[in-house]
Amino acid sequence: MRNVWLIAKREYLERVRTKAFLISTLMIPLLMGGGIVGSILAGSKSKPSSHITVVSPDQQLALDLQKELEHGKESRMTVDVVSPGNSSTRTTLDGMLADKQLDGYLWITPGAKTGERPSFSYTPRSTADISTKETITSSLHTVLMRERLSHDGIVAGEVSALMEPVKVDTTQAGKSADTVSSFVAIYVLFFLMYMVILLYGMNVARSIIEEKTSRVFEVLLATIRPEEMMAGKVIGVGSVGLTQVAVWLLTAVLLTSSSLIGAVAGGNVHVSLSPMQIIFFVVYFLLGYLLYSSIAAALGAMVNSEQELQQLNMFLVMPLAGCMFALAPVISNPSGTVARVISLIPFCTPLIMYLRISLATPPMWEIALSIVLMLVTIYAILWVASRIYRVGILMYGKRPNLPEIMRWLKYS
Amino acid sequence: MAIVELQKVRKAYDTKVAVVDLSFRIEQGSMFGLLGPNGSGKTSSIRMMIGMTVPDSGSVRLFDQPFDRKNLHRVGYLPEERGLYKKMKVIDQLIFLGELHGLDAVTASKRAHAWCERMEITEAIPKKTEELSKGMQQKIQFIAALMHEPELIIMDEPFSGLDPVNATLLQDTLIDLHKQGRTVLFSTHRMDQVEKMCDTICLIHRGNLVLSGPMQEIKSRYPKNRVQMVFEGDASFLNNPNVESAKNYNGMAEIKLREGADAQPVLAEAVAKARISRFEVMEPTLEEIFIETVGGRVDA
Repeated sequence: MRNVWLIAKREYLERVRTKAFLISTLMIPLLMGGGIVGSILAGSKSKPSSHITVVSPDQQLALDLQKELEHGKESRMTVDVVSPGNSSTRTTLDGMLADKQLDGYLWITPGAKTGERPSFSYTPRSTADISTKETITSSLHTVLMRERLSHDGIVAGEVSALMEPVKVDTTQAGKSADTVSSFVAIYVLFFLMYMVILLYGMNVARSIIEEKTSRVFEVLLATIRPEEMMAGKVIGVGSVGLTQVAVWLLTAVLLTSSSLIGAVAGGNVHVSLSPMQIIFFVVYFLLGYLLYSSIAAALGAMVNSEQELQQLNMFLVMPLAGCMFALAPVISNPSGTVARVISLIPFCTPLIMYLRISLATPPMWEIALSIVLMLVTIYAILWVASRIYRVGILMYGKRPNLPEIMRWLKYS
Repeated sequence: MAIVELQKVRKAYDTKVAVVDLSFRIEQGSMFGLLGPNGSGKTSSIRMMIGMTVPDSGSVRLFDQPFDRKNLHRVGYLPEERGLYKKMKVIDQLIFLGELHGLDAVTASKRAHAWCERMEITEAIPKKTEELSKGMQQKIQFIAALMHEPELIIMDEPFSGLDPVNATLLQDTLIDLHKQGRTVLFSTHRMDQVEKMCDTICLIHRGNLVLSGPMQEIKSRYPKNRVQMVFEGDASFLNNPNVESAKNYNGMAEIKLREGADAQPVLAEAVAKARISRFEVMEPTLEEIFIETVGGRVDA
């Protein structure tokens, strides 16, 4: 264990000290921060502040619309009302459009019969100004609806209550978590694993190739076992990735915390994960990362150069992507045979078992078994990888084919 | 006590047999030379001694016990193909390798500094390995193999690629370590280099043992039938019946005597006919012994 620790420590420190690590660790949060600031700036602009004129024979409707457009939830426009308009009004307004004194005007023509909806025609200065038109449309909708409801004798307070959006909560018998947050967690787990494996799994493979070219392994192998070296590399290089992701996540949380807290408090986002779920999330993420890093180590052991590694790249993410196909049957019946079998396949365990834990309560022994199976698989992969590695570097200079790998495993 | 003992060790790879039923012993405190041309199985034998590969058949004993990895801390190994982490500072590298051999970081650092001083490369300590010359890198590798004060020192081609000054420095260091009572084993394909250093040798060729034993004993098994001389005057004494063949380079002659023949009658005739400034009966060199034994089948 001491040797594994020493190897891991060296890998970790050597990598963390590099400029490349520092830059990439800092650049991503800077970009994230920049993106957020940018979107805030863009967001403040997106509330239309255009100056328009409403021409309507129905003065009440025009004033209601003016109020909604000037002080409503989504717009800060300046609105002039002309009521009623005549033929010279249109000429005047067209002239103002051309002089850029106005961004557009809305012409309301009353319906032919009483009670029929009037028709609306909006003339913008620039047809590209879609957002102003959209705001006008939705405001009109609100105004007309409110007018109609109050016309039918409903008081203003009730009108706004009626117009609140409907929210549906899901609760499950015996479970505090709702499905939405389970799904959010599953997708976060999936994308986190996918990203981290893609970004850092290959680093593990690369560090093993590097060891081959630097030829330090021969000194190392004179004191330690190849398995220890492999394990040390996976843990050391892996921790570098975890450090970086941790920094990024922390920055992301800090940057978004104000809006996140606001959203949670406002009841728009509803995330409820039990402490157990959070623990399992971490456990399965780490085990999954270790497992896939071990596969990367095995790939690195098989090849002699980065180019050869590229060709084997897909073997790394294929099993993980394959798990996505298993999501549907597991969701529909989290305790069924299919779900139980798939969740015990080590390559799928991190995602599928976690999904099952979020959706139902699998028996404790199944959870324990899945973790044991993963650990055994990690060890087995590292064992095979170290065999391939040792035989490969000591005797050959070429990439082995499958029968050769099988033969190498018999050497000890 | 045998520090290393190979018994009928055999190792075959896919395409060739590297070592064939090789047996030899390395006694404690000896300076042992493992000799043979390139590709003769030296590195394969060494790798089996330290458990990097396992023999197909036969057995390896280390420190008078069946091979056991936990004894590897008592071995210092310099591989034939040198390798250091290029981007790592020399001192960090040495501490790391020292720690792997069981030292704590403080001791490793102290010894690294002491050794760098001894090998005359103190200026390299804070540098990165890639900034150093090849000779310096080799010295660092050499230090890495010795820092944990191993009882058994195994060096695979330690002098290859070194300039004469550094080669001598390394040789002297090995001789010192040998004097301290450590067992030293090194391999080389340059037999002339080790004649003066080793007390025991093992000569292998194509994975087979050719000769092994104490140097002097081996040499005494071969007749002293070679004479080097420097003379002025009549060279007709070179036709003496005791001479099998002779080469005369303008007063410098190399004579091979007939089997069992004595050099004295040749000297007597030479004295009578010419002025002799040197006349020496030479010991056979390892190279000659090797060539004689394997019948000139050296395919370097």
